[in-house]
Amino acid sequence: MRRLFQVLVFTLLAVAATDATAQERNVRNIFFDTLRSGDIRSTPVGVEEMTYVGTDYISGYDSTLMRYITAVVQFDVDFYADFDLVLTDSFFLKLYEIDELDLLGWKRLGATYLVRLEAEFPGSMIRARWRLWDTSRKQQFAKGRIERPRDEWRDMGHEIADQIVHTLTGEPGIFRTRIVYAREVGQAKELFLADFDGANERQLTSNGSINLSPVMSPISNDVYFISYLDGDPHLYRVDINTLKVSKVAEYPGIIAAPAISPDGRKIACVLSRDGNSEIYVLDTDGNIIKRLTNHWAIDTSPTWSPDGSMLAFASDRSGAPQVYTMDSDGLGVRRLTYQSSYSDSPIWSARGGRITFVSRTPSRRFDLASIDTSGGDYRVLTEVGMNENPHFSPDGKHVIFSSTRLGSRSIFTMDLTGRNQRRLTREGVCSNPNWGPLP
Amino acid sequence: MKRLGLLVVIGLLTVSVIGMSCGGPKEVVEEVPVDTTPVVVEDTTPPPPPPPPPPKLKESQLQTVYFDFDKFNLRGDAKASLDENYGLLIEFENAIIKIEGHCDERGTVEYNMSLGERRARSSQDYLVNRGIAPERISIISYGKERPLEAGHNEAAWGKNRRCEFRIISQ
Repeated sequence: MRRLFQVLVFTLLAVAATDATAQERNVRNIFFDTLRSGDIRSTPVGVEEMTYVGTDYISGYDSTLMRYITAVVQFDVDFYADFDLVLTDSFFLKLYEIDELDLLGWKRLGATYLVRLEAEFPGSMIRARWRLWDTSRKQQFAKGRIERPRDEWRDMGHEIADQIVHTLTGEPGIFRTRIVYAREVGQAKELFLADFDGANERQLTSNGSINLSPVMSPISNDVYFISYLDGDPHLYRVDINTLKVSKVAEYPGIIAAPAISPDGRKIACVLSRDGNSEIYVLDTDGNIIKRLTNHWAIDTSPTWSPDGSMLAFASDRSGAPQVYTMDSDGLGVRRLTYQSSYSDSPIWSARGGRITFVSRTPSRRFDLASIDTSGGDYRVLTEVGMNENPHFSPDGKHVIFSSTRLGSRSIFTMDLTGRNQRRLTREGVCSNPNWGPLP
Repeated sequence: MKRLGLLVVIGLLTVSVIGMSCGGPKEVVEEVPVDTTPVVVEDTTPPPPPPPPPPKLKESQLQTVYFDFDKFNLRGDAKASLDENYGLLIEFENAIIKIEGHCDERGTVEYNMSLGERRARSSQDYLVNRGIAPERISIISYGKERPLEAGHNEAAWGKNRRCEFRIISQ
């Protein structure tokens, strides 16, 4: 039964497969088929206000916590690429002549699914239950229970949303992932860590220097980054728990654009130790494993395919920067982009299939664009400001990037398809975002 | 002071003349004070005026070199600026410099890091080819991280696509 619902989430027209793995593959393909056709369908999901189901008197603080948890779940559902949060403004209620928000009311508002949240407060804990309802069949088809200390209410909301995503799509949610980015602090650029939604921001470096291009390791608590800490740019790492900074690699010339392999054991980056920017693969202690490119042109911005067998990179060997792909041994170089005069900063989707990159569009803006790894289906995803530094969420459905569209550069997120663009940082000049791994 | 010195010199001369004109072992005894006085004389002679400090190269004398968008080749005006800097590096032969390559805000962090280095290297190569020892010139790229002008138009961008010259020592 649950499988059937998963299929419905993506408005599958094809016959549902019975095999679970085939099922999940189908879900994935549907997502990309949707992208290709440009016919973006996401599933409307309603999230009802959390209700208290205990018998004892509860404090105002606890009822506030329930509103906060509801808001977190609503935000996450709204954020997620496959879902649309059903709005319950009085305007809509009036428009659809809904007096009471019961299952029928939610159905008339367009909700395919409804999330109902319940809370109890045993001792110092919050005990939350979530229930998923199908509004057409008027059936509850999934439920879950989480118990957490009161001060972990935010994380609890995210965990509920993760479980809902997993139930409806078969994939892990991304709501307990973290992001890292650079913010201007005086003359310096310091690195900051935050939840995927920008909450719980914490400063990682405080060295007064230029700190750039942070990337989070998928297997450790380290953030690798480039810093001018001792004058010239070198590769460093900082432990996000202890904030201990250590130098990883120092070579003559520049070192730039670190990209950690999907298994977390290798770092592709740019070194100019031979007099020109070339792409190298280092181990996580900074030792050179292999040089991948050998060309008089600038080769930069390496990014790994999800299985680590290939890399995409930018090179100006044709006269202007364009995106190329190659095997992970440096052979089989192939040009991927021909659509604009400047294509750079490629980032390979964690789902394979697509590469998102910076493209200088005919309007002379720097926009984010997306292309199939076969070189077809080029799409421009942004249309305001200068857009840069794209990186994928670990599920490959969302993109984090920086943009100047609202004045000073800030961090934004959007769906893989370019839909649902939203500003994440409210203060300061922020750039160089990177999305961390699943917890 | 000068006059006093003169008087002492004259005095000494007269003493020595008198001494020379006299004879006998008596004079040997007298020679002791005579010998010490010239030492005093040398001490009191005016020290030579301190030599003027050798002129130092100032960073502001070194010309900034400008580039076109996404280019690192040297324009005519860039070569003229580098020729000026070449002359200064010949004149101030002890100056050790660092060339900083910079880019405008357009384009990406990573690409501009490489582009800035290429600009610095173009400038370095030009000076080395004209005969400046390569050990005297190091380079660094700041990509687009250190703009000079904050604006978002060609006027600002043109000023930000540059190589700046820093004096490390001299």
